Amino acid sequence: MIIMPMNDMPKSGMPSGALTMLILRVLQSGSLHGYAIAQRIHVLSSEVLGVEEGLLYPTLQKMLVKGWVTAEWGISETNRKVRFYRLTPDGRKHLKAELNEYDRVTQAIQDILRTA
Amino acid sequence: MNELFRRIRYLLNRRRIDAELESDMEFHREMAARAGRSNFGNTLRMREQSREAWGWTWLDRLIQDLNFTGRTLVRWPGFTVTAVLVLAIGIGVNVAAFSLFNMVALEPLPVRDPGSLVRLERRSPQDYTSEMPYSSAEFYGQHAKSLEAMIGVLGVPPMQMNDDVQGTSASFATANYFSELGTPAAAGRLFEPSRESESTAPPVVVLSYTLWQHRFNGDPGVVGRTVRLNRKPATVIGVTAYEFASLGGQTPDVWIPIAQQPYFVTGSTVLTNPEANAVRMWGRLASGVTAKMAAEELKSLTNELRRRHPKDIWDDEFIDIHPGGHLQVMQPEMYQVAALVAVLTLLILAVACANLGGLLLARAVSREREIGIRMVIGATRARIFRQLATESVVLAMLGATAGLALSSLGVRVALTQFHAPGWLSARPDWRVMLFTFGVAIAAAVFFGLMPALQIARQKQHKTIVRQVLIAAQVAGSCLLLIVAGLLVRATLHVLYTDPGYACEQLLSVDAQLGHHNYSPEQARAYLDAMRERIGALPGVKSVSLVKLPPLGHAISRMDEEINGHQVPVYPNWVTPEFFRTMGIPIRLGRTFYAGEKSAVIVSESMARREWPGQNPVGQLLPNGDAKDTVVGVSGDAHANAANDDDAVEQYWPAQQADMPDMALMVRTAGKPDSLPPMIKGISESLDVKLFPEISQMKVLYQDKVLDLIENIAKAITLTGLVAVVVAAVGVIGLVSFSVSQRMKETAIRLALGAGKVQLLRALLMQFVWPVAIGMVVGTGCALAGSRVLRKVLFGVSNLDFYGYAGALGVLSAILMLAAVLPARRALRLDLARTLHNE
Repeated sequence: MIIMPMNDMPKSGMPSGALTMLILRVLQSGSLHGYAIAQRIHVLSSEVLGVEEGLLYPTLQKMLVKGWVTAEWGISETNRKVRFYRLTPDGRKHLKAELNEYDRVTQAIQDILRTA
Repeated sequence: MNELFRRIRYLLNRRRIDAELESDMEFHREMAARAGRSNFGNTLRMREQSREAWGWTWLDRLIQDLNFTGRTLVRWPGFTVTAVLVLAIGIGVNVAAFSLFNMVALEPLPVRDPGSLVRLERRSPQDYTSEMPYSSAEFYGQHAKSLEAMIGVLGVPPMQMNDDVQGTSASFATANYFSELGTPAAAGRLFEPSRESESTAPPVVVLSYTLWQHRFNGDPGVVGRTVRLNRKPATVIGVTAYEFASLGGQTPDVWIPIAQQPYFVTGSTVLTNPEANAVRMWGRLASGVTAKMAAEELKSLTNELRRRHPKDIWDDEFIDIHPGGHLQVMQPEMYQVAALVAVLTLLILAVACANLGGLLLARAVSREREIGIRMVIGATRARIFRQLATESVVLAMLGATAGLALSSLGVRVALTQFHAPGWLSARPDWRVMLFTFGVAIAAAVFFGLMPALQIARQKQHKTIVRQVLIAAQVAGSCLLLIVAGLLVRATLHVLYTDPGYACEQLLSVDAQLGHHNYSPEQARAYLDAMRERIGALPGVKSVSLVKLPPLGHAISRMDEEINGHQVPVYPNWVTPEFFRTMGIPIRLGRTFYAGEKSAVIVSESMARREWPGQNPVGQLLPNGDAKDTVVGVSGDAHANAANDDDAVEQYWPAQQADMPDMALMVRTAGKPDSLPPMIKGISESLDVKLFPEISQMKVLYQDKVLDLIENIAKAITLTGLVAVVVAAVGVIGLVSFSVSQRMKETAIRLALGAGKVQLLRALLMQFVWPVAIGMVVGTGCALAGSRVLRKVLFGVSNLDFYGYAGALGVLSAILMLAAVLPARRALRLDLARTLHNE
């Protein structure tokens, strides 16, 4: 038997902090199930950003524990019982804070790029 | 906070939530497949990663590790039993020692509010006494607002109950003694402040439970009966309870109200004399008062006392306050003893840990396959290390539980052996439990850390760690055995040599004249008459006077500065024939002349120390403002410090003023057994109020010296042997392991015709150095550390050759046996089978 080292860590270049922010953002307009979240991010980024499943579900779990999202059972478009993730007031607050911070940092970076 | 609740909810509903997660992923996979993608990845692994977000992974791992540990321990029962046993001994000895310390110094007495009880003692930078004049105690008690109550106890020599020949021990206590402690009576009632505070109250006594049981057969009808103490009738009012916890661990047979002391001891002025340090004093702090606040107030009261009795209060005197609600008030010397015991017991634990560490390493080799497989399928070093650490902690906890049981058993035996007060129980309290837990964790680190690191790094084949462990074990047991050897030598020395004076035919007669308010002239008359009439008794060879009879109630010690360093000097005041009576030789010069003044006789050790190579006779010793001339040098007697070889004696001629404090020493030609009743008769005919305490020196010597050292030596020898046995088990284990490791090599050597001696040498060579180094280190530590033992060695040198040789001999023999027994297995190898198997 040959035992291979297992390494299925996602190779996405996206830091998990950014993923949290994106998930919160796409959930702002209504509750979605996991696959839809990934799809929405993929589509909205004009197919530039892909969300690895190996990162998506751990991140969602972390957000559940933090209390930023809740999950409830619903019916999918394929008529299957599936869990929908919904933003909580806490999550909304956190998204706002994240966006402000993000704006501040991008602004700063752009200032440097423009003047340096 | 909310997050924590959610986490706990996740933990409790983990199965359902995990199923939900699985369903989410399942759905994701379905949808991805529809979209034409199929590389979803490893769902199980992803679920694991998702679960990590809940923050409970450590718990899962811990449960896994514990499960696995359980299986491992069951799979190797031999190893488990050995390990738990070795640990139980190592931990149990420490827990037992701590339990005793806890009982004496930490556990509060089962009395009312023990935390506010304080012990009060007179102290100044130069002087200290554990007792104070009753008048001072009364003064403090009346005036100190920081003290809610003052409790005083006056200890006295045994009193005569009815017509008994044997004395009955007695204490006089303030009337609030029992009510302050909240003690119930087993029968009748105890003292009540409203009834027993005045000296005019009808005389009463309270019996101890033990006396009640033994003398009165536990008859409740004894309450109300009249007994005679020193011929004075008094009514028994009650009996203390079996569980009664007294202050300072005193257990007299009878308790008498202190106000009635003058009634029982005719003529005594001990209660009014401001010079008589006689009463042990305790106080109860008023609520909200700290010891420091009380100390300040008492200091100002001491100054007030100085104004009233200028000559009875020392310069810079203050009242020393210690917590008083324990069995013992710990003095600095007692902490030294405790530290010594702690070092010895921790050594046993260290030996046990080193031993177990070796066994763990050896077992790791046989677990190589298992650990290898786990590494290959993805376990990290940290994970393996954690697993091994869990095993160590579980082993340590099992060992600690067994050790705790072992120690409770030991303490129980000790309590019954030493007739401890009834309230002391061997049941471990929370302090002992906490200590046991701490020791177990420390032990787990000691024995588990090094092997676990070695194993996690797959380096268990390195012999160096095993060798270090062997050396450590040998060093520890070597040190313990040497200490045991020295103490055994000391015991033999005490048992088979005389104590510096011949105690077989000696009696001391102490009438405590000072306590009966004798003037120096009256005392002289009484003592002269006693001397003459006792001297005329048949079989009496000589009689003399001494202020501090050997092995008596009082011991005096001064730290005298001799040539720039402090020397503990034991002073005494004697009459000229003292040395002949005691059998202490005069080595140089002469004894005192009758009525001599400003003369001093020193012991030979002191002469050697102070005037090496000179003639001590004629030298001058400062004594206050005057100087004393050394007129003679006596043999070393250690009469009041039998255990301390560094102690030296200094004798002064007794003067007229010393007479009320003097006792008699009587030497007989034959056995002195028949003399006490006759001496008692003589004293009675001189003064019927006196009840002299007559002691046979050989009995005192047996009780106070021999029993003590025998018990110490027994305990230490036992611990030393335990350490050696533990070390031997370790060596046996390691040698048999190394033999089984080298089966093939040995078989080939045998096949090629190697001799048995050569083979043994090849197998045991790797142990020779560690053992040798361990012995050298252990002996070195013993040489360096044994100085602190000098005080208990009874004159045996701490570098005593036989002590060391004996210990090293025993150790070598046991280690040799432990090494050769398992190695012999190699010589009986079945060559064909071994080589075939390999």
